[in-house]
Amino acid sequence: MLIVIIPLSFVGKVNREFFRAFLRLILPAASFLFFMQAFFQPVGGTVIFKIWFLDITKESLLFAFRNAMRIAVMVSSFTLFLLTTHPSELMSDLTRRGLPGQFAYVIISTLQILPQMQAKAQTIIAAQRSRGLDTQSSFLRRMGSLGPLVGPLVFGSLVEVEERAIAIEARGFTSTQIKTSLYEISDTSLDRTIRWILILLVIITLLLKLWLS
Amino acid sequence: MAIVNLQDVTYKYPLTDSPALQNINLQVQEGEFVAVVGPNGAGKSTLCYTLAGFVPHFFKGELTGIVEILGKESHNSTLSEWVLNVGLAFQNPFNQISGAKYTVFEELAFGLENIGIPRDEMKTRVADAMKLTGISDLAERSPYSLSGGQQQRVALTSILVMQPKVLVLDEPTSQMDPIGTREVFGVVRRMAERGMTVILVEHKVEWIAQFADRVIALKDGQIFLDGTPAEVLTSPLLQENGFGVSRYTSAARKAKAIGLWKKEELPVTLEEAVEGFSRANAGRVV
Repeated sequence: MLIVIIPLSFVGKVNREFFRAFLRLILPAASFLFFMQAFFQPVGGTVIFKIWFLDITKESLLFAFRNAMRIAVMVSSFTLFLLTTHPSELMSDLTRRGLPGQFAYVIISTLQILPQMQAKAQTIIAAQRSRGLDTQSSFLRRMGSLGPLVGPLVFGSLVEVEERAIAIEARGFTSTQIKTSLYEISDTSLDRTIRWILILLVIITLLLKLWLS
Repeated sequence: MAIVNLQDVTYKYPLTDSPALQNINLQVQEGEFVAVVGPNGAGKSTLCYTLAGFVPHFFKGELTGIVEILGKESHNSTLSEWVLNVGLAFQNPFNQISGAKYTVFEELAFGLENIGIPRDEMKTRVADAMKLTGISDLAERSPYSLSGGQQQRVALTSILVMQPKVLVLDEPTSQMDPIGTREVFGVVRRMAERGMTVILVEHKVEWIAQFADRVIALKDGQIFLDGTPAEVLTSPLLQENGFGVSRYTSAARKAKAIGLWKKEELPVTLEEAVEGFSRANAGRVV
């Protein structure tokens, strides 16, 4: 799988960012996983060598390698996805392919609204502290002060939701017209070829897996 | 024929006893710029929601009477049809940002995408609207990184770009500085001259006096006064009933009481006040 993903990062012109993420995050995490599992996986079998009381067996090595690779592949394919795909392009393409607009809106607005909620929580904390709410002493006290913090955040957000609903409704959100999109999503022959090759690869690996086991 | 026609409109929000709007009769001609003033809780926002179709389609409750725009009644059409003719921008700019877009340009295109405008037309419309409201330089910024006043301009532009026949604005300049306010009033005036009908709720009476064609004063859900800015905004009834009054009007009223204001009518704007006071003092050696 990595053999497939790495060349694709070049096609997407994000190879530099991709390798940086790969070296800093994916590689250390995967190797850590590899060593931990190689040493502590209690699968018996052919002992290759011994360090102090730790047995390294052929099975545990294989098992650890497989798991480390799984993590590496999953994280790196997701990294590649995030690096190459702008959320608004993804959504307009998905809507074009038949995803309901409401659904796309929920996903994409959540991505944007979360940081805003966070900022609002900070404002509420500051406001309540300036009125003497204790947020820094003992654990029990702090649990007690959660109420005045969470309450305004939740109720405030509910009110905001109503206003936002009005605002997007005023801009024709539920219009029955066929929606258009500001961006043209180019689907080149290269895109199509790669897509088919990838689908083919998935099928082949599935078949191999079934056939081998 | 009037483009906006409200006849005997009464509306009660759900779970409330007293009506938010009571026996409203209002006819607005095409291209007219009507300002609505009134103390808090007078029903100004409710009137906006009613005109924009959110009463009765979004807020439940009891609506009686006729709400008619362009000859169509609001309860006979759906909200998404209604918003094609009537645009609404309201006070809190933060909640008017769709949250689904990453730049101001995309944000402004959001409404046009929804109503299915072709891509090329969409781009020209957005660019033109941004030029009109003076936010072209914000095109690539994230809508959330803007100041309150800038967000408010974006909110206004996002409605203007949809080119509604009737524009309903609920305090669109509440977070703006005086220069921004003046510019927005200028833009709205220009839209009215191009034939857009504007209904604007605003507290800043001096600006209303300069730009609006007509003023409606609302109180307790009823139309209290209706007339030209000069008639309504200088009426002695306003101050007595808790309305905001221009400082020039109140200064001149006090001056008149002690004989320093000679003219019959009172001023609303700075220019009128200066003119009146200098006439009163003409020939006198200061």
